[in-house]
Amino acid sequence: MNTTRPLPRIGIVQGDACGIGPELLSKLLEHEEIHERAQLLVISDKRVFDAGSAVSEIKANIKVISAAADIRFSPGHPQLLDTRCLDPQHITPGEVSIEAGRAVLKTFGLALDLAEAGTLDGICFMPFNKGAMHMAGIGTEDELTWAKQRLGITSRASEFNVIKGMWNARVTSHIPLKEVAGRLSIPHIVEAILLADQTLKKAGYANPRIAVAALNPHAGDGGAIGREEIDIIQPAVIEAQQHQVNVTGPFPSDTLYLKVRDGHYDCALSMYHDQGQIAIKLLGFDQGVSVLGGLPIPIATPAHGTAFDIVGTNRANVQPALNALRIVSAMASDQPHRFA
Amino acid sequence: MPFGITMGDASGVGPEILLRAYHANLLANDVFAYGDAAILAAGAKLLELDISLNVIQQPSELIPGTLNVVDLDCLTSEDLTPGKVNRKAGAAARNYVLRATADALAGKIRAIVTLPMNKEATRLSDPTFCGHTELIAAACDTDNFTLMLATPEVVCTHVSTHVSMEESIARCKTDRVLNVITLTHDTLQRFIPNPRIAVCGLNAHAGENGLFGMQDLEEIKPAVDQARINGIDAEGPLPGDTTFYLAVHQDRYDGIVCQYHDQGHAPMKLLAFESGVNVTAGLPIIRTSVDHGTAFDIAWQGKAFTDGLTHAIDYARKLASD
Repeated sequence: MNTTRPLPRIGIVQGDACGIGPELLSKLLEHEEIHERAQLLVISDKRVFDAGSAVSEIKANIKVISAAADIRFSPGHPQLLDTRCLDPQHITPGEVSIEAGRAVLKTFGLALDLAEAGTLDGICFMPFNKGAMHMAGIGTEDELTWAKQRLGITSRASEFNVIKGMWNARVTSHIPLKEVAGRLSIPHIVEAILLADQTLKKAGYANPRIAVAALNPHAGDGGAIGREEIDIIQPAVIEAQQHQVNVTGPFPSDTLYLKVRDGHYDCALSMYHDQGQIAIKLLGFDQGVSVLGGLPIPIATPAHGTAFDIVGTNRANVQPALNALRIVSAMASDQPHRFA
Repeated sequence: MPFGITMGDASGVGPEILLRAYHANLLANDVFAYGDAAILAAGAKLLELDISLNVIQQPSELIPGTLNVVDLDCLTSEDLTPGKVNRKAGAAARNYVLRATADALAGKIRAIVTLPMNKEATRLSDPTFCGHTELIAAACDTDNFTLMLATPEVVCTHVSTHVSMEESIARCKTDRVLNVITLTHDTLQRFIPNPRIAVCGLNAHAGENGLFGMQDLEEIKPAVDQARINGIDAEGPLPGDTTFYLAVHQDRYDGIVCQYHDQGHAPMKLLAFESGVNVTAGLPIIRTSVDHGTAFDIAWQGKAFTDGLTHAIDYARKLASD
């Protein structure tokens, strides 16, 4: 890492206040190495932050400011932008709350606005609760789509799941399996491959090795059990190769993830939701990181949820959040490097 | 009662694995082979293994401390053609399986453990041959059977396997799902009194209440409900991406019913690429098999893994436990 350049400016968003997010904030700040990777701004209601610190029993050394105009980044001197949007007295830890949902949209929205204004180079958010966000009126399917709309992005953006150097992206996601084949097209897959290539390059992979999954078992067995590989996926891979991308496939999905696990590839591209999720969850993805790629700034979050069952017990493991912060710091740096 | 291993196609890795597993003391005294003594003798010489063969006519004639073989006497040492599709070897492999199945049906052996046949070779003498398992099922006079992938922790079955994704979606129907749940339950019940069966959904998040597809609610759920009425401890439809995690890491289930090929094969390979065992569920006899083919490219070179055979024998023993 080149320490003569300024460290990336990263916003840490509090997450759903009814979950373990607030506890994680002070745990993150306690890790000294993170201050050598990024200059940090925590975006949270101070009362929520303090409630989290009470659970973690960590007194963080952080300067509280109340307006964006007061933001002064400085390595080793994190600031807390107090959003005054949620009184913890109004929520019950471990229960879905519309007020907590509203606070999520407020704090995450503020972070996106600061990024758009050029104040932040990257965002790391603590777990959201989808139910709470929907109650609070997010109005879109998820935070990725919401962020795209807020930033006015119409090109492809995608969630990447990352664990121990393995990346996975999906061509289709939350749709009926029956509709998957109809949504696969050469341009669509090429776009997804190119986005994977760009995103991993930002994450410090000089020449990311991307493996594309087949749709049908045994990759269609030469067309005997499905033609999508021959008609769509293979041509898309060839087209992407012409863009100088190190991509191969389509591979049968029952052996592809073994090869990814064993380090033969950096990133898998799955055709449907469960294809990738089955493998990476089995490989321990609950301890992994989700990266939102395709936005003007990198965004990352721990893959686990709000963990309502352990809120307030100080048992929350900070490692996935720490990894999310490391990845986003590496990606936001003007010298791309692998985070580990 | 002993366990019988069919040695499989002589040109492939089957007989080689048998000889090497025996030589490495991996076969117990109640395990014997169905095959050709001439091939095993010539093969032992080729592999430079010192093996004492004992030719028998009936499983009851086993002599401990030797590799006992029910010699079907189909082949000579001339027929040992490593890696070559051989009409005689293909026909012989069929005979080993038919004899072993007959002995199992007659109650002379507790289970059959099969080493791989070569479809192309067997078809040269029997054009109607469409698969190893189909051959055994026909000999057992049943057509209601299914492949079960097994590891020590969990087993999985499939509502459909080698068909396109489009076809597997079409095959996700209540009666099929219920049948596979029942076959899975009945097989596991051989050694688990009340097996816990998880049934995966077809769609992402098991359909999220119809948001991502209706089959989970309309086809799978009624099958699970009926299985429960029938006294089976079945649960589902469950999201396919967490079911294996729950079964393996939290010991929540003994068996998992998957809706399509990769939903089960992908996680099973991640869990146990080399220790997986195939079980045929639904037969009146116990049959397990190694989880690989004849591997002609490496046959008789001393490279093939022998662990698959010992896992398959261990699993047969488990299924045969009283």
